[in-house]
Parts: sequence; structure tokens; C-alpha cells
Amino acid sequence: MAQLLTRNVLDPAQRELQTALRSGAYLGFKQALSLPAHEVVAEIEASGLRGRGGAGFPTGRKWSFIHAALDQPVYLLCNADESEPGTFKDHYLIERDPHLVLEGVAIAAYAIGAHQAYIYMRGEYASIAETLARALGEALDAQIVGPNCMNSGYDLRITIQLGAGAYICGEETGLIQSLEGRRAYPRVRPPFPAVHGFLQEPTVVNNVETLACAARIMAEGAEAFKDLGTKQSAGTKLISVSGAVERPGVYEVEMGHPLMEFLAHEAGGVRRGRGLKGVIPGGTSVPILTAEEAAPLTIDYESMQSAGTMLGSGGMIVFDEDTRMPHALLRIAEFYAHESCGECTPCREGTGWMAWVLRRLLAGEGRPDDLELLLRVGDNIEGRTICGLGDASVQPVRSFIQKFRPEFEALLPKEEQGTLAWQSHGHGPRSGRFGSPAKEAMRSQAVDGPPTAAL
Amino acid sequence: MLSKEALREIEAARAEEESARHALLTALRTVQRERRQVGPEEIAYIADLLGLSPAVVQGVARFYDQITETPTGQHVLSLCRGISCYLCGADDVAAEVRQLLGVETGGTTADGQFTLRLVECVGACDRAPAAMVDDRFVGPVQADTIHALTKL
Repeated sequence: MAQLLTRNVLDPAQRELQTALRSGAYLGFKQALSLPAHEVVAEIEASGLRGRGGAGFPTGRKWSFIHAALDQPVYLLCNADESEPGTFKDHYLIERDPHLVLEGVAIAAYAIGAHQAYIYMRGEYASIAETLARALGEALDAQIVGPNCMNSGYDLRITIQLGAGAYICGEETGLIQSLEGRRAYPRVRPPFPAVHGFLQEPTVVNNVETLACAARIMAEGAEAFKDLGTKQSAGTKLISVSGAVERPGVYEVEMGHPLMEFLAHEAGGVRRGRGLKGVIPGGTSVPILTAEEAAPLTIDYESMQSAGTMLGSGGMIVFDEDTRMPHALLRIAEFYAHESCGECTPCREGTGWMAWVLRRLLAGEGRPDDLELLLRVGDNIEGRTICGLGDASVQPVRSFIQKFRPEFEALLPKEEQGTLAWQSHGHGPRSGRFGSPAKEAMRSQAVDGPPTAAL
Repeated sequence: MLSKEALREIEAARAEEESARHALLTALRTVQRERRQVGPEEIAYIADLLGLSPAVVQGVARFYDQITETPTGQHVLSLCRGISCYLCGADDVAAEVRQLLGVETGGTTADGQFTLRLVECVGACDRAPAAMVDDRFVGPVQADTIHALTKL
């Protein structure tokens, strides 16, 4: 199995600088510092590296968008918010090889001309942030980062910032807002962060794994990276697999690795020898694949795209034949309803309605046209919001209903009767974070809905 | 209101950041940790400390799940209800834990030690069903392991 990022993760001493240095840590940063910044950008572009956070945007091109005036500050933000359900690869990498992540941050900052970098971590990762902070302290003491990095004349300050519990902070402009001490309402693009980002200055936001890849590329060359993987998906991918598998965990695979082979070998197969019902390849925000659809696919951007889904974050969630798909979908829909920031009406209202309609279906109080209603609500969210959360919330709803329709149809009332009961539970659903009572209500799952006990 | 250590933390954040506002998230986290809540008193305190309006402080505080307006117990026990934990029986665990601890979701045990929360995916799906005791990840958990944890 190709090992690019996970070579040293099994050695607990890798967290310590001396051990990390012996395994080649910061050689990539040293190499970068020996080059003019634009050549570092060119090297990353040549490697074919694409963003590992979910969108798959070419990293070198993202860096090349930065055109700052003389003396204008530029910022590098490392996105370690990792809140996409089913994703825990950055957690794993930071915990086990923090210096690799710091090296990637330093390289990216140098390449774009930033002298300040922030690593924004979700609040739940406070314990991992301590590991990272210890590594940062060591790197500072060794004058690898900080003022005059490795005697190069380049200054870089790295700051770790913890969030406080909100999925939307992983959206790049939401992250910027949160870092500025605001509610994490995403910003309208354009202007893109490369032009007006953190503090309105040119900013690049990169995922943890992307930056770790950049560190390896600078140490070992773009060609070596490109030799791995497929034509459109260079390198390796960290896959965090969970759900109904025997060996959930984080595994690194070369891009182009057969999906079923991965599930059978690395993931240990579907648990208790059950049959595979479906798999979400890249976090709940991408469409689910049926077992049949998944069979011929490989783990890379283009193969997933050919099947109408996405590699996303590599957060792979496996469903076995015993899974009740409508129940599973409700859980996912409730997630988006809870995490909608409340800024855009279609998402704030729509995510709440999708969860609400699913809940009434499962409570035996559905209406004959509820499946059409769910799909229609989705159509009215998609493409009508500032950020991608709204679009993301629609993918599971649409794909679950399309691909497992009989299970949903079985919940519909046989005849038009008894469909008014749900109205007695109060006014419509509410979601999002526009105020404390709603937030508290969502927390306790009450939300004016049918009592969850009825499920 | 705060320990010297906590105050130092906030002041360090403030000194490092471009404006007081950037230190707000750190201030909220620090106050929540020390006071186990960010209620009206804490909001007024933070506003004063950072030179921000109380409305700004409250507006930001209410956005984030880990900041609470009412006090939590000494410890926060968060049961993950993410999709992967759901697939591994998190609902059953949560129901049993509620019964064993004698608290509803959001409630605090009679001795004031533990507040029980159900939270969205915490990013520890390999340990599903996962839980957190304050900042520490635990899992896979069963109701009795959680119960034992609360007795330590």
C-alpha cells in the first residue's frame, strides 16, 4: 500500500521533533525556502495536487491566485475544522504526525507570501490541539518556524485557534468569519478569499491533508507525487472508513485503488459477514452509492464523479443490509437542520422541513406525496444559498430516496387518511442558529416535532 | 471572576491578535471552561474585558454549541449521535445512559457532576459509538462503561 502521509504514524515518538527530524521532517520546508516562492507554487501545480477537504480544487492554482501589493498582509489558514460526518482523517494525522502538518503549513505560507498562518481546529479537538501546540513549541524553539525560519530571513508566525462547536466553521468563509470573532455566517463570493479573505486581505484556506501532501511534494518532488495515483487524481488519499465495517479507521490508499478491495481488505469487510447495502464515499454531503454502483469504482475523483458522487473528504460510511435507510436518512437530515447557520432562508427553512417530513413519515403520519415534497424542498434549496451547506443537505435526501425508494414508499399511508395528526404538534420546523431557544430546542431534538419516542 | 491563569490566556490571545474581537472566541472558550457557562454576568464581563458591546458578545456566544447560557455540571458528557455512531447503536446507548444516570438529554445529574449532551459527529467515528468526557474521546462505549466513568 502506498504510504506517503502515514509512513510514520505508528511511532508514538513521531510527535517529538527529534524523532520527526530523523524521519525527514521539515526537509520539504528547507527545500521550499531555497527557492523563490513562485517556484514553490509551480512545483505544487506540477504535482497535480488537488484539495483534500472535499472540493478537489487544484492546490497550486489556488495559491497562484494570490497577488498582494507590496506590504499588504497575506494569510494562510489551515482548515482543521473537520466536521463532515464520517470524517476523522485530519484528527488522525495531527494526533500522530503533527510536524508533518506544521511543515505543510509553513510551506504554503512561504509560497503565498504569508507571515501569519492560523490553524483553525474544531472545538472538540482541544486535546489534539495540545499535541499540535507542543509540536509547534518545539519547532519554534528549534527556530524552524517563527522569526527567521531556518536562517532564511523568512518570518512566520503560526497560531492555533480552537472553535466552539459549529459545522459551518469548516466552510472556508465561515472559518474566516469565526476566526475574526464573528458568527460563522459564510460570505458571498466573489470576492473570493484570495482577494478579500481574513481581515479583507488575500487569504488561502487549505485542508490539513492537502498541506501534508504539499510537505511531501516539496521533499520528494512533484514527479514522485504524480507517479502515484491516476491521471486526474495524483497521489494518495486518506480514507476514514466507519459504520458497518469490521475495522473502522484511517487508511492511506493510492488514488485509483479499487473501492470494493478497500472495503474487503483495509476495512475488514462488512461487519458480522452481512451484505453491503450502500456506501457514502466522501462524507454525508455526497450522494450515496448502492452496492451495485460501488462495485466497479475506484477511489479517485474521476471514478466517483462518473457514478454521480464525489470523493469528498474521504469520509467513507458503510451501510449493511440490516440498515433501515429512512431512519439513517433522518439522522443525516437532522444533522443538517441542526448545523444550518440560519443565514440563507432556503437552507434554514428547508433543512428543517426535510427533517420534519422524514420524522412524520417515520411516525406513521406521512402524507401520500411526502416523497415528492422532500425532493421539491431539496430542489428549492439547491443552488439558492450562499455556501455549500444547503446543496450538501440535499444530496443525501435525494440519493437515498432515489436509490432506496421502496423503503420510503412503505412508509406512505395506504390511503389518504389520518394525515392531519402531525399538524397538531404545532407550527413548522425551525432550524439554524438564529437564536438561543431554537438552538436549545434542536439540541434536545424537540423542535416542535412529533415526540422522538414515537420513532 | 476568572482565575489568573484564565485571564492570562485571554490577554495573551488579545495581545497576539489584530483586534480585541479576534480574541472573543478564545475568551468565550476560556470563560466557559472556568465558569461552566456564559450567562449575562459573564457576557458583561467579557464585553468589558475586550471593549466590545454585550450584544456582540452574546450574538457570537449563542452561535456556538459548546458555549452555554446556563451552567453545566462539573463535567460534560457528550454522546455522539453522528451517522456512523448511529449505525453502531448510539441511540440504544443514549437511551440506556439516560436511564442509568437518571437525566434527560441536556440535564445534569443530581450531584451536579455530569451534564449529558447529545452532539453531532465529533470526528471519532472509528470508535463508534463514541463519546467525550469534557475534551477526552472515549469509545466504543456501552451504557455501563459510561455509567462507570461517571462514578470515578
